[in-house]
Amino acid sequence: MNNPHHMNPRSLKSRFTTRFLRALTKIRAQKPISSSSPTEIFRRYRKIKVAADKSMAYSVRSRKTWSRAMLWKLRSRSHRRRPVKTKFRQSVMKNTKTTTTTGEDGVGFGVEASELRELVPGGEAMDLCNLLDETAHYIKCLTTQVQVMKKIADFYSL
Amino acid sequence: MESNPGTTETRSNLTASDGGQVTAFESLQFTDEIHRLILAPTTINASSFTALVELPPPQAVELLHSPDSTKFIAAKPPNVEDFKGSFRFPSNTSLIEPDARFSVFSGEANNGNENRDSPVSKILNSNLEKAVKSEPAETESAQPLVSDPPVEKRRIKRKGRENKVKGSTKKSKTAVNESSEDAEKLPYVHVRARRGQATDSHSLAERARREKINARMKFLQELVPGCNKISGTALVLDEIINHVQSLQRQVEFLSMRLAAVNPRIDFNLDSVFTSESGSLMDSNFPGLVMPVMWPEVQGDGHRQQYQHQWNSDALQQPVWGREVHNNYITPEKSLLTYDSSANSVTLQANQLKMEL
Repeated sequence: MNNPHHMNPRSLKSRFTTRFLRALTKIRAQKPISSSSPTEIFRRYRKIKVAADKSMAYSVRSRKTWSRAMLWKLRSRSHRRRPVKTKFRQSVMKNTKTTTTTGEDGVGFGVEASELRELVPGGEAMDLCNLLDETAHYIKCLTTQVQVMKKIADFYSL
Repeated sequence: MESNPGTTETRSNLTASDGGQVTAFESLQFTDEIHRLILAPTTINASSFTALVELPPPQAVELLHSPDSTKFIAAKPPNVEDFKGSFRFPSNTSLIEPDARFSVFSGEANNGNENRDSPVSKILNSNLEKAVKSEPAETESAQPLVSDPPVEKRRIKRKGRENKVKGSTKKSKTAVNESSEDAEKLPYVHVRARRGQATDSHSLAERARREKINARMKFLQELVPGCNKISGTALVLDEIINHVQSLQRQVEFLSMRLAAVNPRIDFNLDSVFTSESGSLMDSNFPGLVMPVMWPEVQGDGHRQQYQHQWNSDALQQPVWGREVHNNYITPEKSLLTYDSSANSVTLQANQLKMEL
């Protein structure tokens, strides 16, 4: 009955878990049970994926560039139909682009760096040094996400 | 070796001008000793100046402090043959002998003479940078001279004294950059100029940047499993990219799995929660602690309902030709254990937290 291993309530893992579970329940509450056609599943999969990314980005808030970029992307996607405020967008792009330095730093791994930029959200407008920083944090968050989701999936499909 | 004739020239001029400050007697004896020192046999572990001299450190420092001492003469007889193999100085002695002699003392001189502004030490210091530049191929034993931990301080002092002595244009550049190990913590970057490397601000900034990047690459290597063995930044980056891609794909598959598991898990509070309780978990979660407040299982009828659903859904499974399939073909039985109430959701959350 007593939980001997209390999770740290402020850790990234716990923050992500609570948010994600909340989002999951919301998603499941929306759809009726019987719908199990592939399209429905696909739609739900989309929602769940978005929810996972969103809850992860929200758990990190604005502390990291990649989370900011991801949140901005999600928001702009959801507000696709509404006119996007160009001022905000320009200011965001300006803020991110002023930190860009010239691509090559003389060591010569430009190809991989550009690939990495595509993978990490918001990576296009970062210099290599910050990019590596963001990548490290992003990897850490991704591993947490995978762990939690795996546990949830195992839990439900036991 | 004379790759930079310009600097050598200035250096030689400098030595000429500074040599005048030194008394003839001192210089004579000192050069003698230094010459002997240079020709002294190198030890295998020539990791420091003291090892080079083959004297215990305090003695070696003493030696420097008192240029007119005869302690050095008590040292081993020089073996030029041994020496020539490892040191490149003798080969250049004809050209840069005065500088070479002085540069050998570079490390220890600073350490020993931190407070002294003797012209000798100044010459040493001033000549160090120049000598370094003219000898791009650093000898192994010379290199460790400046890699000792206390060298940092020396470099600061040396640069300070350089500026005093030379008063050249370099002064402005070198004065700006101080040595520091911690490029990360300080508000602005302090860069350590190693021996044999240029000291203008651009290359120093470049070097600082490269060091930062290398530090971060190392951290990433530890983070990504299996990256420690790989050498070379490009390959490591490839590994990192693969890792990130695989993680992203895992997230996708897991979310698909959750989406597919969903329809059987009915979170419809009204229908399920009120009518029947959903705690069918007893048998299937042996590892978990069951909270007491879960309502008792009532549901044979409940189970049958889910079994029906399960059977119908199983037909739909083949549609998803994905890996995720393998994961829940067998767990289909878990339908029976599904609990579908808001109550259970929070309980599950708690249980999950326990697990996590």
